[in-house]
Parts: sequence; structure tokens; C-alpha cells
Amino acid sequence: MVTWLAMLIGGLYAAGFYLMLRRSLIKIILGLAIFAHGANLMILAAGNPRRVDVDVKIPIVPEGAEQLLQPYADPLPQALVLTAIVIGFGLQAFTLALAKSVYDRMGVDDVDAMRDPDLTEPPTRRDAQELVSHEELDSVAPAALPGTAVGS
Amino acid sequence: MFAILATLALAAFLAPSLTRWAGRRCGWILALAPGAALAYLVSRLPAVIDGETFDATVSWVPALDVSLDLRLDGLSMVFGLLITAMGVATMIYAAAYIGDDQRLGRLNATLLAFMLAMLGVVLADDVITLFVAWELTGITSYLLIGYDNHKFQARRAALQALLVTGLGGLVLLVGLTMLSWIAGTTQMSAMSAAAGSVQGSPLYGVVLAMVLVGAFTKSAQFPFHFWLPGAMAAPTPVSAFLHSATMVKAGVYLLARMQPVLGGTEAWHTTLGVVGATTMLLGAVMAFPQRDLKKILAYTTVSALGMLTMLIGIGTSAALVAAMAYVVVHALYKGPLFHVAGIIDHETGTRELSSLGGLRRTMPITAAIAAMAALSMAAVPPLLGAYAKQLVHAAEGEATAAAGYIYWTALATGIVTTSVAVMLAVLPFWRAGRETPKQPHEAPISLWLGAGLLATLALLLGPVAGTTFRPLVDAAARVAGASPSELHEETSLGLASTSHAAEPASAGALEGAADQAHADADHGAEHGEHGSGTLLKLVTIATGVLLVWRRDALLAAVAPVGGLARFGPEAVYRLSVIGLKSFSGVLTRFIQNGYLRSYIFVVLLATIVLAGYPLFSDRAPLPPLAVLDIRLYEGLIVMAMLMATLFATGTDSRLAAVVALGLIGIGVAINFMIMGGPDLAMTQLAIETLSVLLFVFILHRLPRFEHFTSLAERRRDLVLSLMVGAFFTSLVWGIATEGGESALSPYFAEHSLSEGKGHNVVNVILVDFRGLDTMGEITVLAVAALGVFGLMRLNLDKEKKNGKVA
Amino acid sequence: MENLLVLPIVIPLVTAGFCLLASRRIRLQRSLSLFGMVALTIATLALFDAVRSEGILVIQAGAWPAPYGITLVADRLSAMMLLLSAIAGLAVTAYAGWSVGERRERFHFYPLLHVLLLGISGSFLTGDLFNLYVCFEVMLMASFVLLCLGGERAQLEGGVKYVILNLISSAIFLTATGLLYGAVGTLNMADLSVRIAQYENREVINSLAMLFLVAFGLKAALFPFAFWLPASYHTPPFAVSAIFAGLLTKVGVYALLRVFTMLFVGDPDFTHTVIGILAAASMVFGALAALSQKDIRRVFAFQIMSTVGFMALGIALGTPLAIAAVVFYLAQDVILKCNLFMLGGVADKLRGSGNLDKLGGFWKTKPFFSILFLISLLTLAGVPPLPGFWPKLALLRSTIETGEGVLVAAVVLAAFLTLFSSIRIWSGGIWRDAPPPDLEPTDLAEREKDARWMMVPAAGLSGLLLAYALAAGPVFDYAEAAADQLLNPQVYVQAVLGEGN
Repeated sequence: MVTWLAMLIGGLYAAGFYLMLRRSLIKIILGLAIFAHGANLMILAAGNPRRVDVDVKIPIVPEGAEQLLQPYADPLPQALVLTAIVIGFGLQAFTLALAKSVYDRMGVDDVDAMRDPDLTEPPTRRDAQELVSHEELDSVAPAALPGTAVGS
Repeated sequence: MFAILATLALAAFLAPSLTRWAGRRCGWILALAPGAALAYLVSRLPAVIDGETFDATVSWVPALDVSLDLRLDGLSMVFGLLITAMGVATMIYAAAYIGDDQRLGRLNATLLAFMLAMLGVVLADDVITLFVAWELTGITSYLLIGYDNHKFQARRAALQALLVTGLGGLVLLVGLTMLSWIAGTTQMSAMSAAAGSVQGSPLYGVVLAMVLVGAFTKSAQFPFHFWLPGAMAAPTPVSAFLHSATMVKAGVYLLARMQPVLGGTEAWHTTLGVVGATTMLLGAVMAFPQRDLKKILAYTTVSALGMLTMLIGIGTSAALVAAMAYVVVHALYKGPLFHVAGIIDHETGTRELSSLGGLRRTMPITAAIAAMAALSMAAVPPLLGAYAKQLVHAAEGEATAAAGYIYWTALATGIVTTSVAVMLAVLPFWRAGRETPKQPHEAPISLWLGAGLLATLALLLGPVAGTTFRPLVDAAARVAGASPSELHEETSLGLASTSHAAEPASAGALEGAADQAHADADHGAEHGEHGSGTLLKLVTIATGVLLVWRRDALLAAVAPVGGLARFGPEAVYRLSVIGLKSFSGVLTRFIQNGYLRSYIFVVLLATIVLAGYPLFSDRAPLPPLAVLDIRLYEGLIVMAMLMATLFATGTDSRLAAVVALGLIGIGVAINFMIMGGPDLAMTQLAIETLSVLLFVFILHRLPRFEHFTSLAERRRDLVLSLMVGAFFTSLVWGIATEGGESALSPYFAEHSLSEGKGHNVVNVILVDFRGLDTMGEITVLAVAALGVFGLMRLNLDKEKKNGKVA
Repeated sequence: MENLLVLPIVIPLVTAGFCLLASRRIRLQRSLSLFGMVALTIATLALFDAVRSEGILVIQAGAWPAPYGITLVADRLSAMMLLLSAIAGLAVTAYAGWSVGERRERFHFYPLLHVLLLGISGSFLTGDLFNLYVCFEVMLMASFVLLCLGGERAQLEGGVKYVILNLISSAIFLTATGLLYGAVGTLNMADLSVRIAQYENREVINSLAMLFLVAFGLKAALFPFAFWLPASYHTPPFAVSAIFAGLLTKVGVYALLRVFTMLFVGDPDFTHTVIGILAAASMVFGALAALSQKDIRRVFAFQIMSTVGFMALGIALGTPLAIAAVVFYLAQDVILKCNLFMLGGVADKLRGSGNLDKLGGFWKTKPFFSILFLISLLTLAGVPPLPGFWPKLALLRSTIETGEGVLVAAVVLAAFLTLFSSIRIWSGGIWRDAPPPDLEPTDLAEREKDARWMMVPAAGLSGLLLAYALAAGPVFDYAEAAADQLLNPQVYVQAVLGEGN
């Protein structure tokens, strides 16, 4: 069963990543959600999973018993997944709110339109001045250059 | 010794407040600090001349084998005396020169800090201590060169000096680290014992190259010389101190210090000889056409530094003695000349050679100082300069590597240097008077006192150089590797030494020649010139004077050659810096391009390459054997989920995508159920419902899906995604084939009820065994709520527009 | 003594709760917040002292024996990081009152700050891999909100990239943790250290190691995973940038250090070589990119990338000296980066802009501030004897001892470029004269007043940097002892799992 589960997980990861590579913010978030599903399944699938049937029991100590006896489904990955699901939900809620704020503010949900703060400004004349000596710059009266020689 | 350094540090710390308190008189007070250091050094002078050394050590960073080892020997003594003596003169001069400026306090502090660093360089015995001091001289000199911080020329010159010496410093650090690694000690005094193993090491060439780059950048050797003339943007007191006597000599100091360890090889002789001789000639030739007094001085300094490098490169006893002698002589004339240039600038308002003349009437003292210094520079007897020059001439004859080159460059340099000396000392003072921006007056005593004392010292020491000056120089040369036996003999014989011709054969031809040189020098200084040396000297001086006389015509004739400067090392520096910055901009715009999907793409690609490589490099994991272990309903669920996934990925309908997401979620819940997690499945369903609702709620306020990307891009993304998916599938397979039993679960199964008081093991794990996780989980939810609240309610852009917030 | 281990988690949690209750009363929040940070500093100081004198401290949460419950552990590295984060938190709290603005304070700035510290402290303390994930998420969630708090357009644009990329990293971390549990069946790091060494399948372990490298490398801002950092760090208020710069990437470095000295040490020829390559690329690219930036925070952002590269290089080399260098690096870099951003904030306050083209004029009018800035910039540039020098020296020495000429060249190049870009900030942003800012006189007077208060914590941190310079010997001794603990994990394992192992 793990064999097939693993392929399903691979499919979920692939779909999640494909959606994350889109330009629409909402698709990216959709992708993250699918990715999260994959990750949750993965935790369970990797942790030596067992199908519950006649022999394998769910991890609940039966009434009257002192302890859970083998074989049972491993309870620890289940606890981990529970934690991960709840955390994932919190993150998803925030991310959706962020997407809405961004759309309210910018009118698009295209992340390619959100490049501005991340771009390196082209160099200006002052950079060249600070760095290297151009004779022609020397001959310019200091006052004519923006913000260079107030105190001189 | 530490007391000396501490005094300077304290003085530097107190300098700003002291300057505010004492005003223009602060120079006299602050000069006490280097004065005290000078007094200490003088008190140790006799012992050091006798070959004693003084050590002091304090542990610093023992984990790195770094300790503050100080060692005062002959070599440190020579440089230390220069630093402190020039330091006293500089402190007095600077305060008078700068006058009332709010930054004077900071200048004084920086100067004193520089002195401290410089003394650290020459006193350090530990290589790292040396490097620390070395870098400190670089940083303090950066601040000093850019004293006129409002002028971009000054900042640029400072930056240029810092970058050139800074890069050199880093290379030097690598070299020194390697050196101490090979030599097995971090103490330079102990390294000469390991010279054999160092020079036999396959890394010797690398170490030598790195140390030389460090020394050459600091001491302005070709092709790194260009920063020094640029550094003349510094105020004159700074130039007089840093760029004549101290910082630029740090490289020379290092070469002398390293001579016993790294020197004596063919590579050493050739590299230093050629680089030094080239720098020497280049500096002199470049000095000649300059119009600015300080620029002239800067280029002559470059020339002198070249000569020192060359002498150390020759490396014979005589050459080392000559180098040490010339270090002192150069400081004694170049310092005063810088001071004079500053005085002229201060009093007349210009440093242009062409607008100066006739100043001997208005500034007689300055004129006299300039004359004394220039005569020493031109090596005219009986000044100390003549004595040193004689030693140098003799040493030049001993060159084994590149001997011809050295001979001719030295001859040419001698001629040009003489003419530059004439330009400096004669033209401004002795030719007819000219209009200057300010009415010239004689400078106050605080401006000329230091220079006067130094110049007079050169005059007084000249006639008695053999007895007073030589012993110290010899002591320094011994540390730099000069043969002690022969030097000792020489010194003890002193003036009476005339028996140079009858050297015993066992001492070897080389030492014999060295001896002859010393004797010649003593003779020359004492009894005047004789023989072919005299003739050559006269020709040199005559040609030099001739050059000055026909200077304008000469400059006009060679003007076209000046265009070559555009292809010089400074142009290379300029292009490199501009190129570096442009390259940085281009590269950054390419990598940090603002496209989120490009970032995600790179991250995923790196993940698949890095994590996929070890998994697939050997053999790809195969699906576990139980391939067919699947029940019909399980297969159907997997198929359904895959189809939902495909649908969610491809659909253009927002609602359909969300429904598909919900289906996937339900499928996940069913899988949880199959794997024995009923609680998990319930939670998953609940959360999934909330999540879908949230999506629907947000989605209907957002635009429709659009296809922004081209088909090619989508194909590329698809390929990458499928690869990542395949990778994770394989990884699960790989783990599932040999996955072990959980080491933890048996404990939970056993203790859940008995100690955790709960039947449901998963619940007990959540609230008890791993309660900390649950606390974190709740915190995340709470913060998410705060975050959503903040995003919805707080919009500072809008509030600013509406004027609600200032 | 072991109970001290709980305090770095309890104190921020309680403080956050109280601040939340007082959400409408900003002054009260400020005092509470400051009080909480002081308490945290004292507690971590006590913990630091205890660990130094008594060795590794361990407490089992809920008294469940390791490896079944969650273990809190403090070795020398953890104790140091806890203390440093408390100090940075204290400085930023003192700074925030004058700089973030009442609107943001009103919208739960202080509770979020304390939750951030809760997550950070938890990350340093926990000895459980999944709990580390949870602590990361706490920290991450708080950082998301802090980054976007205020909702300015640039914040949101930067926030999107920060959030999405960090979520990817988290998901990879979660995946890798689940897979690792599947492979070796435990989550306790001490236990993992033992079991991974026994696990047969090298390919799987190496592959998982790389997933952890991606997950933590992204948090640490290692090339090529660092895109989110220059995209976002210059958008929120300076106080937020300062605490992020001081601590967040360091948590990533801490995690890398932990994982690659304790867990994935079986095949260093592969894993540590990869780290070394990424480290060299980070060092050089970060320092180079910093050269072309105008926004002072973008310069620092790229320099963070470069610094992280240096630290990762130490991890890659893995010798005692190199690891000690990383610890020393961490020790000074938390303070330094926090301080640089705080000082940048003062400059921004006084000139109304953080753009290098608009800064300047401080050397003339504000010598004290200029000197504070100079100290930090020179520390960044690695100028001796300031504390930035020593770890670089130790790293250089370790690199030379490996004989890898390319790495030596990368170190030298990166150090040189860092010097260049640091000096560029000094020259263009502080030293040169500039025309007075284009601000209303009343506004300017108000800003001057705020700036004076903002300089107080900055001066404190600068003083700390100088103290490091004076105490370089003892600090390095500490770092060496911490490295010794890291490189001999059996001591850690014994402390956590008991003598039987």
C-alpha cells in the first residue's frame, strides 16, 4: 500500500510545486495547501504505516486493558500530523488574509507585479564620484553636484 | 613598552576633550604623549645598540595562539625613533596648521591612534599582533586622508588608499598565516631559525608573493604606487607624518623584518630589485613634471621607497646598512620638506610651484629649513644625506640579480632627484617674487619648530655620522640579516677603518666589498669626495641643475608621453572599481530579480539536485516488494485523489479548484482512517471544511484565474514539478523498504493509560507526552488570528493619505 | 538549577499574555514589555552562568523520560544564543517605543515581539526535532505578522515573498522530519544522533541531510535560498528589521550547526562539501551584491547573506577551530546585525530616508552617532581588533589548513568586498556632508528627540561590541569549549539520555 501512497504523495507534491510556480498569488496558496496535504500524508506513510483491520488496532487502549498491545497503528505520527494540520491551518488563514490585503491594495494578484521593492536601483552619478576620480568631475564646481560640498 | 602604548591610547581617548579645553595650544600638550615614548626609546638606545632586545608579552587570544608579543630590537628602534620623533613634531604642527576647526579634536585623536598602531607594527613580534596594528594604520590613515570629509576628492583618495592597502593587507594576512604555519611559530623573532624549512617548502613561492603584495601595497611600490600621490588630499600635517616617515615605511619595515626568513633567494633578489628599481625611477620621473609641491614630494617619496625596497632586495650586509641609514635620512629630510610645503600653503594660500617665488625675504627661517633638507636630499656633504647616499652607491654595486638594470635606473634617479631637490628648495625662495593669494609672512614657531629641529639634526649628525649614527644603523641591519661579525668589526674600528683593501680571503669577496663600502662612506662623509665617485657626483648634480633650468622646454617636449598615464595602474584601479560595481549591479538584478516564481524555481531546482543526487547517484530506490498489496477501494481513492489533484492544477474555474482541494482533503482523511487514525481523520475533515470555506470567502473577492505564463514556461515548470514529485516518491520507497520500528511508540502504548490517564494514545501524546508541541500549536493559531486582524484593520498607507498619522 | 531551562519559554509567553491584555494601553505595554525583556535577560544570564559552570543542563518536559517526551537542553551554544537573543530583544524593545509608531504598537506589536522570542528561545532549547519544527513555526508566524504589520504596500510586496518561501522551507522541514522518523523511529536529537549512525542506508540519510540543508539553509539565508531576505528586510519598521536581522537567520545557522555536527556526520565528504560550496557562493555573492545597493537596509541584508556564508563555511570545515569560529561569529553577529539596523533606523529617523543618496552630514553634526556607526561598520568589515576580526581569522586559518586554494580566495575576496561595502556606507551615508533634510522644522525637532532615545540601546550594543574586542580571549575560550561540546556529541547524548547510552 505504501508503494501506491508514495506515488500519490509524489503527485500531490508535484501539483503543489507546479501551482507554486504560477504567477497568481491565489494559485500559489492553493499549491501550498496541496503541498501541505502531501506532507501530512507523507508523515504517516513514512512512519511504518499499517492498514487497520482485524489484527491491527487503532491506537486506543481498549476498556479494561492496562496497555495497548501489538500490533497497532503507530500513534506518534498521528499526533505529529494533528499538530501539523492545526499549524498549517493557521498559516493558511494568514496567507489568505495576506493575499486579500495585497489584492485590495494593488488590484492584482499577479506576483510579478510585486517586484518593485526588490529591485536594485541603477547607479547614479554620485556613486561614480565616491568611487573613482574622473578628471572631468574634478573640474565641476562642488556646489553644482547634489549634496557634496556644503561645508567647503 | 605596554606603558608607552597605553599612554598613547589614553592620549588618543582624551584628545577630543583636551583639544576643546586647550584650544590651539593643545598640540604642545598632546605632543607629550609621543614625547614620552621617544624618551623611553632613547633611554633604551645604548642597550639596543649593544645588541640587547627587550621583550614584553601579554596573552591575548590564547585559543588562536595570539599573544601581544612586543620586542624592541635594533630594527624596531630605528623605526620607533622615527615614529615618535616625527610624532612630536606632527602633534605640534597639526594643531597650529589646522587652527580652529571643530574636527581638530578628532584629528588629534586619530593621529595619536595612528601613532599607537604604527608603534604596534614595529614593536610586534607576533604576526597577528603585527597584522592587527597594520590594519589599524590602514583605517586610521583612511580617516586622516579623508579629513576634509566634505570634499569628495578627499573621500575618494581615502577610499583608494584603503582599498589598495586593504586588499594588500588581506593577502598579507594569508601569507603570514601560511608562513607561521610552515615555520611552526607565530613569533617573527623565532622564524629566522626556520628559514631553511620555509624556503624549502613548496609553498615558499606563494608565501613570498603574498607577503610581498602586502608590503608593496603599503609602501606604494609599482604597480600599487598610485594611491600615495592621491593621498595628498590629506591635510599637510598628516602627509608629513604618514606619507614620509611612517606608514609608507611599514612595508619597508616588513621587508627588512622578513629578510632573514624569506630573503636570500633568487626570487627575492630579482623581485625586490626590479620592482624597487622601477618604482625608484618612476617616482623620480613622475615627480619632475608636477606643479603641486605636495605632489612633487609624494612622488619623490615613492622614489625613495623604491630605493629602499631595492636595497633590501640586494640583501647584502652593505645594502641592508644602506637601507637602514636611508630610512632615517629620508625621514629627516622629507618630513621637514612636507612641513615647509604646508607652511608655504598656509602662509601664501597656494602650493603651485609656478606661482611661488622670492619667499626667502618674507620667510627666511622656512627658506633655511628647506635649504638644509634639500641639500640632504641631494646628498650634498656634509649633511647626513651624503653619508647615506654613499652607502647606497656602494651597495648598488653589489647587486647580483638585475645588476645592470639597477645600475642605470639608480644613475637616472640620482639625476632627477637632484633636480627635484633644486625645484623644491630653490624655486619658491630664491627666484624673483610672485603674486600669491595671501600676503606671505613668516610662520609662527609652532609651525617651523619641528621641521627645523629635524633638519638641523641631519646637519649635525652628518659630520659625525660614523660614530653616532652608524652604530644604530648597524644594530638595525643586524636584525634585518646583516652579518654581525663583519659589522661589529666595522663599528669598533670606527673612523680609523682604512684597511678595507686587505680583507682576509676567508671572509669572502662579498663581505669584503661590503666592508669597502662602509669605509668609503665614512671617508666620503669625513674627508670629502675622491676618485670616480666624485666625478660622477658632480656630473649628476650638474645634469640635475640643467634639467631644472630647461624644465619648461623639456616638459613641453615630452607632453605627448603624459597621455600614457591613461593606461597606467591607476586606470586599471579605476576600471576595476567601476567594473566591480557594474558587475555587482548586473548580477544582483539577474539573481535578485524580484520574480517570486524564479526564486521558487531556483529553490526547488537546488533541492532536487542536492537531495536527488545522493539518492539516485548509486541506484534508484525501487518500489517495495509489496507492490500489489493494495485493495480495490484504496486504489480507487488514490485514483480519485490524483484526478482531483490534476483537476485542481489545471482548471480555470476558481470554485472548481477549491472543490478539488476539498476532495483531496477528504481523500487524505480517508487515508488517515485506513491507517488507523479516526481522530486524525475527524480533525482533518473539520479543518478541511474550515479551510475550504476560507478559500471560498477570500476567492470571491479576488480576480478570476488568468493564464499569465507561456506554454513553454508551463512545460518547464511541469517537468521540474514532476521531477520533485518523483524524487519524494522514491524517497518514501527508499525509507519504506528498510524502515524500522518506531523506538518511541511502545513506550506510549505501555504508559498511556497507566501514567497518562487516557485511553486514546494519540490524545495522551498530544496533551501529555508532547504537550509542548500543543502549546506551540495553540500559540501559532493565536498569532495567526492577531495577524489576520492586523492585516484587515491596519493600513498605514491609507491612514497616511487620510492624514490620520503624522 | 534545571528549572532555569523553562524560564526562557515561560517569561516571553507570560509577557506576551499580559501585553495582550493591556492592548489598549500602549504605555503600560511598553513598560510590561521592557520588564519582561529584563526578566528574560536576567534568567538567561543565570542559565548561561549555570551552563558554564555545571556543563550541559537537561530537563524533561512533563518529567517523561527521554527520548519519549520532549527534552529541553542547554549546552554552551544554546545558553549563549539564549542570552544573546534576550539582549537583542531588550535592546529592540527599548528602541521600538521611539520608532515603530503608536498605530503598530496598538496592533499588538509587543505581544508579537514576545511570541517571536518565545519561538526563538524554544528553538535554541529544544532537544526534539519535531518540537524544533513547532518552535520554528511559532517564530515564523510571529515574524510574518510583524513583517506585514502596518500593511504598507512595500511591506505586503516583500511579505508575500518572505511568507511563501519560508512556508516552502517549513514544509520541506516537516517532510524531512517525518521521513527521518520513518527511517530511524525517533525524534529526540540525542537519540537520533545514535540511531542515524547505525542506519544502514547512506543514500537515504544523505538525501535527508540535503533536505534539512535546504530547509535550514533557507531560514539561514544561504545562497541560493536567500531571496526572501533582501526582498523583505527593508520594508518593515527598523525595530522589526533589527530583531529579524539579529536573530532569525541565526536560528537557521544554529539549526544547521546542530544538525551537521550531531546528526549528519557520517558522510562529510558529501554533505560538508556541499555546504562548503554553498557557503563560498553566499560569502562572495552577498558581499558583491551589497556593493550595488542604495537602501541602507538592503546593503545590510546582502551582507547578512555573506556573513551566513562565513558561518556555513565554518560548519563545512568542521574542525574544532572552525566550529569555534562559527560560535564566536554567532556571538558577535547577533549583536552587530541588530545594532546596524538600529543605527540605520536612527539615520533614517534623522534624514527621513534610508537611501544612501539622501543620507550623510552626520560626521559634522553628530560625531557620537557617527562613531557608534563606525564601530559597527568596522566590526562588520572585520577590522581588527574589533570582534568581527577574530572569527574571520580563525576561519581563514582553518581554510588554509585544508589547503583549498579556491576557498581561501573566496574568503579573501568576500572579506575585501565586505570592507568595501561597509566603507561605502560610512563614506556616503555618514561621512560626507549633505544638505539638510527636506522635513518640517517641528517634525525635525520631534525626530531629533526620538533619535536621541533610539541611540541609547544602540550605544549599549556598541559598548558590548567593544567589550567583545577587549575580551576576545575569554570569548574565544568559551567558543572553543562550545565547539568541543558540539564536536563530541556523546556528552550531549549522555546528558539527555542518561548514563546508559
